[in-house]
Amino acid sequence: MANRADLALRMTRDAGIEPARAVGGARGVLHALGRFAVRQPLGAIGGLIVLVLVATAIFAPQLAPHGAKDTAFTQYLPPSIEFPMGTDQIGRDVLSRVIWGARLSLYVGLVSVAFGITLGALWGVITAYFGGLADGASQRVVDVLMALPPIILALSLMAALGQSVNNVILALAILLTPTAARTLRSVALSIKETPYVEAARAAGCSHWRIIFRHLLPNSFATYIVLFTVNISYAIVVEAALSFLGLGVPPDEPSWGGMLTAGTQAMETAPWMVFFPGLAISLTVFGLNLLGDAIRDLTDPRLRGGLG
Amino acid sequence: MRKYVERRLLLFVPTLLGASILIFVLMRLVPGDIAEILVYQTGTESSTIQQKQIQQIREELGLNRPVIVQYLSWLGNALRGDFGYSYTQRRPVTDILKERFPRSMELAFLTIFVAIIWAIPLGVISAVRQNTWADYLVRVISISGLSLPIFFTGVLILYGLVRFFRWLPPLEFVSFLDDPVENLKQLIFPTLAQAYYISAPITRLTRSQMLEVIRHDYVRTARAKGLAERAVVYRHALANSLLPVVTFIGWWGGRLLGGVVIMEIIFAVPGMGTALVQAVNYRDYPTVQAIIFVMALVFLTINLLVDVLYGWLDPRIRYA
Repeated sequence: MANRADLALRMTRDAGIEPARAVGGARGVLHALGRFAVRQPLGAIGGLIVLVLVATAIFAPQLAPHGAKDTAFTQYLPPSIEFPMGTDQIGRDVLSRVIWGARLSLYVGLVSVAFGITLGALWGVITAYFGGLADGASQRVVDVLMALPPIILALSLMAALGQSVNNVILALAILLTPTAARTLRSVALSIKETPYVEAARAAGCSHWRIIFRHLLPNSFATYIVLFTVNISYAIVVEAALSFLGLGVPPDEPSWGGMLTAGTQAMETAPWMVFFPGLAISLTVFGLNLLGDAIRDLTDPRLRGGLG
Repeated sequence: MRKYVERRLLLFVPTLLGASILIFVLMRLVPGDIAEILVYQTGTESSTIQQKQIQQIREELGLNRPVIVQYLSWLGNALRGDFGYSYTQRRPVTDILKERFPRSMELAFLTIFVAIIWAIPLGVISAVRQNTWADYLVRVISISGLSLPIFFTGVLILYGLVRFFRWLPPLEFVSFLDDPVENLKQLIFPTLAQAYYISAPITRLTRSQMLEVIRHDYVRTARAKGLAERAVVYRHALANSLLPVVTFIGWWGGRLLGGVVIMEIIFAVPGMGTALVQAVNYRDYPTVQAIIFVMALVFLTINLLVDVLYGWLDPRIRYA
């Protein structure tokens, strides 16, 4: 643990960032990506899937033939050339909703993880540094938040907040914060004992300077791992909440919500189940592969662990 | 060992109390209360008579008292096994719990049981034959299991059953005590759907643990003294690989309970999960509170048991 900085260095080297800088230019970037693909072939496949997902989310207005909420078509049309994924129970184009769904999923996943993990990281690192009563009390709060099974906590938060996209983000962020706080706290505790932090204290650095210049930057590798691993988790929980009818409002194009509607019309319109389900599975698959690869690069000790 | 268990027990009660406060406060934040819902069911126009009715119901339920008083009286009753009255199901919440709790627990235990008897041998095979086709096959199965969200697996299985076998979710739940065969028939599909998901990480973890342990000196010694390969793998390597698997199962207890809720909804099993989602939709908070409280209790108990078991299995932990 003493070598967090060293670890970060190795991570950038393993990820092929250094050679890229050495060669420079577009060729250097390609070279680095090639190295990554050779070292982590599965990670590269995951990266490709994620790239397609991100492109779909960004270019949804150009890619989707119709709006996500356009209802101007016949209900329950099977897949055809005009509607490659058919239409749903109120005559919306399923393909368009799957495409807009990519944007919704990614938006909810990224924003909630960014909020939740960052808040948790600050919380964990600061309480670890000061220790004492505040640390003990904050650990008990974490205990309480982690006493409820995750989906159940999300579900009760949604019941209290009411259904909307922003509330789903808030609920997911609250769900992710305690885990991040606990993980980053343990990392910060070990960094706190290292000689360079002691040296910084001896040199007269203020508490906040030590936190922001030493503890936070040196726990960055863990932060990145938590970030990538939890995006797919957040996307699945959003879909699960919407599947249970407690996530985003039903007219929003959530893959989970589409799956619920499909389940109710399963026998007449199985395409309403397959395509959104496939979209979620592919997304999670890609993110898992990429997350595994990033975890392998940053910390070999976690390899093949709990994923 | 006793000190270790005592310390863990000491944390158990405050955490459970904290969770109950959290649940209570969340339920008070819900927009619109049960009184409004009960009254507005009959008509949408708000009138003075309805306002009076709402006031009356609130008084009956004690909703107009300060939150802290409400909480303490709820807690006092809960400790005596009285969780209030469910207005939507028109019976005491305790009756709902008594009826639903065993069903959900049965589903959870079946899932974990099936997942373990399927996942651990797969993990062992995968490790013993590292980098052969058998290993690759197991790894593909487990990574796909991790990527398919349980609600999609569940819906796919349901679709297969309905489409090809004309299967329909049973209208009435049969208890294991009344008719074990019929009961297992009802629970087998949700069990398999979730076990597929839960078994994936267990397989991966068993594999990576086995790979690590197999390289230890004592395994080489066991081989060198001429033990049969089977004895080496099972008695020496596997026994020492299972420790992290035990904690892992505890760690995923929460996901297991969440998964049970989803499986119950998909396969129409009348357990705690279906009751919970229904109660949330009707803002029947005595029921929601009680069910979430029981789930927190179960989850914390699983974690406690796993920690104690872990300390018992590995003496190094106790003295840490």
